[in-house]
Amino acid sequence: MSNEELHEEEELDLASLPDDELVQQMHDDLYDGLKEEIEEGTHILLDRGWGPVKLMNEALVAGMTIVGIDFRDGILFVPEVLLAANAMKGGMAILRPLLAATGAPPVGTAVIGTVKGDIHDIGKNLVTMMWEGAGMEVYDLGINNPVENYLEALEKHKPDIIGMSALLTTTMPYMKVVVEELVKRGIRDDYIVLVGGAPLNEEFGKAVGADAYCRDAAVAVETAKELIAARRAALAEQPIAVAA
Amino acid sequence: MSERVQRRKGGGREARRAVRLEAKVPTVPYITRNVPCYEVLGEEGLAVIEAQAETILQEIGVEFRSDAEALQLWKEAGADVDGERIRFPKGLCKQLIQASAPREYTQHARNPERNVQIGGKHMVLVPAYGPPFVRNLDDGRRYANIEDFRNFIKLAYMSPYLHHSGGTVCEPVDLPVNKRHFDMVYAHMRYSDKPFMGSVTAPERAQDSVDMAKILFGEEFIQQNTVITSLINANSPLVWDATMLGALKVYARNNQACVISPFCIAGAMSPVTVAATCAQLYAEALSGMAFAQLVKPGAPVIFGTFSSSMSMQSGAPTFGTPEPQLVLYVIGALARRLGVPFRSGGGLCGSKIPDAQAAYEASNTLQHAMLAGVNFMLHTAGWLEGGLAMGYEKFIMDADQAGMIHAFLKGIDLSENGLALDAIREVGPGSHFLGCDHTLANFETAFFRSTVADNNSFEQWEADGSLDHAQRANKLWKQMLQSYEPPPIDPGVDEALQEFITRRKAEFPDSNV
Repeated sequence: MSNEELHEEEELDLASLPDDELVQQMHDDLYDGLKEEIEEGTHILLDRGWGPVKLMNEALVAGMTIVGIDFRDGILFVPEVLLAANAMKGGMAILRPLLAATGAPPVGTAVIGTVKGDIHDIGKNLVTMMWEGAGMEVYDLGINNPVENYLEALEKHKPDIIGMSALLTTTMPYMKVVVEELVKRGIRDDYIVLVGGAPLNEEFGKAVGADAYCRDAAVAVETAKELIAARRAALAEQPIAVAA
Repeated sequence: MSERVQRRKGGGREARRAVRLEAKVPTVPYITRNVPCYEVLGEEGLAVIEAQAETILQEIGVEFRSDAEALQLWKEAGADVDGERIRFPKGLCKQLIQASAPREYTQHARNPERNVQIGGKHMVLVPAYGPPFVRNLDDGRRYANIEDFRNFIKLAYMSPYLHHSGGTVCEPVDLPVNKRHFDMVYAHMRYSDKPFMGSVTAPERAQDSVDMAKILFGEEFIQQNTVITSLINANSPLVWDATMLGALKVYARNNQACVISPFCIAGAMSPVTVAATCAQLYAEALSGMAFAQLVKPGAPVIFGTFSSSMSMQSGAPTFGTPEPQLVLYVIGALARRLGVPFRSGGGLCGSKIPDAQAAYEASNTLQHAMLAGVNFMLHTAGWLEGGLAMGYEKFIMDADQAGMIHAFLKGIDLSENGLALDAIREVGPGSHFLGCDHTLANFETAFFRSTVADNNSFEQWEADGSLDHAQRANKLWKQMLQSYEPPPIDPGVDEALQEFITRRKAEFPDSNV
């Protein structure tokens, strides 16, 4: 299709669409990485009385699930997923304060960083982007993180997940240092520990005491969702007294 | 401009999936190179080879066997005719060629968008030619039949990086020798709309090919234009036989092109050394191309070479080895000096199966041929076992490499977009380019994407079934054949072709001799 044809077809007024069509359109707009349109659509639905949880799940997370599937299947490319995630972030920025006010649990929160001695962060950035795209709140510690940085961030953000990455065989053993420190402090089981990076594998992940190894950014999303859900289900079964 | 946001619907998932799953690779009818040819000999070295070739032609001469007309033509041209041995005054062959052979020519396809330009800065990639066997992972090795022949035409038609339908993509040994050319030429005409090659196994079969082309293109059109390029081999050392000369004369008289190809296994058919092989090949090709100009001045010819080394232990030809690559570079330079298109190269290998030997030997020859400036690359895809077998999986592997040749010969884009200074400004130190405007504008076409190679993580590869290269290629050719749709053809033309074939087949009995 030529640009001209695209022009002719369009000039779509989002506000004129009924709810179901607007949600469909937002899925398309997420897919196409249109941040302003997602922000506009989010406002419109809020104005129509949509609650933030329903809005997030049906308009945003559902749309990004489609993006995730097509990324996994090789139909969407990395730069396109980046755009989509960025559009998602725009919508989530509007919803986040409202979600907090409802008291509903967030999709998930994570602290992520490249471990000490390692400054390679492209893969870690991709995971950050994909997690944010899935509606998670992600605190990115950047590169070259000693254990203190992780501890400080855990204390501050109380995340579901701590994510560590490394590209070098010489730096990946540091993941074990971090996990052991968590064990020593008796807080290991308060978090889901996910690790990733080119020289790692499943076995290495187990050896350092992580909950899972994520081979790529798409898998990191699936794994995060699964483990968060499992963890919440397990917590829900525990006696309420513990919560006091 | 109004302040109002103009929104354009990108189409979302449905639109993108439609585009991506259709997987349309941008195709070109042929390659035009933006990368210079590599040469291994300087002016002085090439002059030494040329001088030796002229000495071979003058002193030793070339045999033109069992063709009285050829001897007569050479006599009239001023050559020394001694029985069937022709000795040529120095410079005669070169003069004849340079006086009338085109530097480059267009071979027309029935779909004009598929016309190819042969010679100059252009490169045309053509499937393998001649194998009596086929091989695939399902059947192993067996004799080829007409169904295989049609399959390879369909695969070449669907391959975005092959420009030509080829000729004897495999030998359909299930059909009688004296009539199989009808079905072969028809298959090229019907199942593809790319240009093709004609029969050369007898003069009357060459004539049948021309007559069928007359039906397909129109009689007048083919007298003015080249629509067939056919393969004429020398019997090295220094012999042209009656079969090949007969076919050559038919094609040349009808203004159709011939690849004049010494087929040479050094050690047996030429001396073991590179320089001697080059000089002999050049002499043989000069005599053949000059002969085509005697038959019909201006008839398009391609300077062909097929050169391989051999195992001196067993006598088997060897492929993808260094010495024939050196021959390839020298002949390429000689063809450019002479001013005619150059044929050589291909996905050559000695391996029986699509394994590591097949891959690296083929890759060696394809890459060197690309750098040497080959204009018409016969055997680009499918070749196994020294040309004895046409491999289904190997075809897919080679066609993928053909794609890489396209990307390489595009050369380097030095435009503002190519230099992308703005992107480097935008991103700065320590960040990444994955989301910057320049990447978004260019990512889809920036890198060649193999359809066969697996670059996924180990775990993903394992989850996908731990398939090796050949197994993935096996899936691909099956998918291609399944989704094949024939190009449209005028029903009247198709009917006329079939009538011609039926009539001709009825005129003489089947024979395998």
